[in-house]
Amino acid sequence: MTTVDRPSYKVIGTRPIRPDGVEKVTGQAQYGADIRPPGLVYGRIVRSPHAHARILSIDTSEAEAMPGVLAVVTSRDLPTAADKVEELGETAVNLRELSENILAHDKALYHGHAVAAVAATSSQIAAEAVTRVKVTYEVLPPVLDVRDAMRPDAPLLNENRHTKAMDGSLSEKPSNIASVVQFKGGDVEAAFAAADHVLEREYSTSMVHQGYIEPHNSTANWNSDGTLTIWTSTQGSFVVRAQVAQVLKLPVSRVRVIPMEIGGGFGGKIPIYLDPVAALLSKKSGRPVQITMNRTEVFQASGPTSGTHIKVKAGIKDGKLTAVQATLSYEAGAYPGSPVGAGCMCMISPYNVENFDLTGYDVVVNKPKTSAYRAPGAPAASFAIESLLDELVKRTGSDPLEFRLSNSSRENTTMVTGVPFPRIGAEETVRAALDSPHYKSPMEGPNRGRGVASGFWFNAGLQSSVAVSVNPDGTVNLIQGSIDIGGTRASLSMQLAETLGIGYDDIRATVVDTDSVGHNDVTGGSRTTFASGLAVHEAGLDIQRQMVQRASALLNVPEDNLEYVGAEVRSKSDPSKRISFTEIASKSGQTGGPIVGKASLSARGVGAAFGTHIADVEVDPGTGKVTVLRYTAVQDVGTAIHPAYVEGQIHGGVAQGVGWAINEEYYYDEQGHLLNSSFLDYRMPTTLDLPMIETVLVEVPNPGHPYGVRGVGEVPIVPPLAAIANAVADATGHRFTVLPLSPRRIVEELYGL
Amino acid sequence: MVVIIIPALMRPYFDGANRLEVEASTLDAVLRALDDRSPGFYERLVEDGRVRPELAIAVNGEVYQMALHERLAPGTQLTIVPAIGGG
Repeated sequence: MTTVDRPSYKVIGTRPIRPDGVEKVTGQAQYGADIRPPGLVYGRIVRSPHAHARILSIDTSEAEAMPGVLAVVTSRDLPTAADKVEELGETAVNLRELSENILAHDKALYHGHAVAAVAATSSQIAAEAVTRVKVTYEVLPPVLDVRDAMRPDAPLLNENRHTKAMDGSLSEKPSNIASVVQFKGGDVEAAFAAADHVLEREYSTSMVHQGYIEPHNSTANWNSDGTLTIWTSTQGSFVVRAQVAQVLKLPVSRVRVIPMEIGGGFGGKIPIYLDPVAALLSKKSGRPVQITMNRTEVFQASGPTSGTHIKVKAGIKDGKLTAVQATLSYEAGAYPGSPVGAGCMCMISPYNVENFDLTGYDVVVNKPKTSAYRAPGAPAASFAIESLLDELVKRTGSDPLEFRLSNSSRENTTMVTGVPFPRIGAEETVRAALDSPHYKSPMEGPNRGRGVASGFWFNAGLQSSVAVSVNPDGTVNLIQGSIDIGGTRASLSMQLAETLGIGYDDIRATVVDTDSVGHNDVTGGSRTTFASGLAVHEAGLDIQRQMVQRASALLNVPEDNLEYVGAEVRSKSDPSKRISFTEIASKSGQTGGPIVGKASLSARGVGAAFGTHIADVEVDPGTGKVTVLRYTAVQDVGTAIHPAYVEGQIHGGVAQGVGWAINEEYYYDEQGHLLNSSFLDYRMPTTLDLPMIETVLVEVPNPGHPYGVRGVGEVPIVPPLAAIANAVADATGHRFTVLPLSPRRIVEELYGL
Repeated sequence: MVVIIIPALMRPYFDGANRLEVEASTLDAVLRALDDRSPGFYERLVEDGRVRPELAIAVNGEVYQMALHERLAPGTQLTIVPAIGGG
């Protein structure tokens, strides 16, 4: 671990056992599919077998007549949604498109698009009833590739969609290009003309899935008093509540969302798919209804991330990166909303570049609507620019990390948006990579190569709310509304323990439902340890203030002569007059009642994250198989609250990035049928495919957080695509520009097959 | 004075300028001052009393949710950026 200007802490930086660990390893933890309300029945979704089709009719009569079938719903059961964009949690959502994605209205827009649903007394009857719902389609030609979809003569997914510019203006003609963004600075043409080296390339990546272990699920009960209770697997219970309330046109207060333990999300469990459907089936059947996707449904009809095509040109003069021009085209799936804007904004953020012209297109295609996936938009953009720079820098004869060091973004470097960076650790990650044992080791052996890449992610703040109760025995209950995915019950408890000066084991953190705490935005954007950590710190300060007030009465010392130090309150003028946290807690009933600290905030002071990775690979020239021999991930983590969890986030991000680089892709036939919707055919890396991933935690504390926290969960997925591709280029002498680097692709390209 | 960075696709509204300074103390006042220079600009950015959900405003480099009438300190730099979400 490299540490820069970090104060010493008692709890922060230690590695205690996670509070949910025992329940999880013993199988006691309750996930969404475990919940069994009395009278539970089972729902199942009718899905389109076509990628693009007009729905002419839906006949539910045969299904409804089946014994055991209690309800059937279609889009006709959904309230009419306005064609309006609403801020629902982290991102903006068009309510009509949200509703149409939940149950298709007049058109099915991808293979697996939900068109109806049934509820029955058993899952077997529900599965049979699905086959009895007769849907008549007019099959239309699908558009599956982002470049095809952008052509003027491409079949349109929506004849009323026009391209929207950043100023809100619309194109004259309808188009599959939903929106365009542009970032421009300096004079790229002049910079290219003056450059010593200029290179232009095109890169493509495939649609890939987050691959969370736990499928989507929802259990809904439309209560007799008209309120709705939902048990679900989500990254944001309040966002589920907001979206369900909007889609079903219910007052927010009448919807209660109970978040269950979550088996992974990575951005894919922010949108809603099943919750309103389960609710409607419950309303019709009068019973609680549970729907669980199978793996095929997860692949076909949840929210993977965009396939992309990126054209990029860069120029170097005197060792400096002087100009970058790029066109980024991202598949949005069936409805607009790809992360192309973020791709543009992240692409060259590791570098100080004066001249740039980046244009991004958000393009609809007949594939599932994309959702967030860990640093959304950044990995593909990074793959393009980091591959290009690797090739370009080799022409100059420079070391790739020395080039990154001399061109690195630093404090006050201006991003493509015109926004200057605050204190960041980009440069420090490159230095640590240069100093690492991995980079200093020789690269030996035939068919082996080494690649490096850097990456950036913004991180987010958003809204958090917590409550902290002090118990009479001095223990503390922390009530949080942020979903715990990566260990935030521990990371928040540790920050609270540090603030109060008490032990980690004295705090019990619980994730509660939407009726039990103030609004919390999603656990996403690498925000929770930062933003909910700020809330926890403020709640801790609130308790400190109350402790001082109570101590004043107990010690007979004026408040202004008291201070909270460690886990006690003492007199500033006479330190012998002191009282412990536990003693004040035990006497709270005599000094004004329960001590409860609260904080609700919209977090400010976000610290951006940078990483630099090194990959060694071996490529089998006979089979094309890529084996990752060694991998080191260096990251500026601000302050590692719980270093083991930070390392775990980095391990996970790298593993997913390696999968994206080497194996993973949505594979469609020409009619738009997804052909690899199982984990057998959609090849994610396992432990057998990965070496031990070495991590180097660089700590450049974020000045916007009292403990220097930066989000850590997303940036580690950004560099691996290019680091692996650059290593494969080094090993084979051939530059691959299309991911994944599957054995088939490598053999075909190497031997011109 | 408040500095506002104009994104590339909006620069035609301001004769190609990428950076403007206006005398204003709230975001609403800044956008109305820009509307004076390019009539209709305010309506392109603001709907239902807030900045369009597809867009975000960075204040001194940081994107966060703010009310239109929140006070801005002199010298504040505002930037119009696309709204983004994390995973």
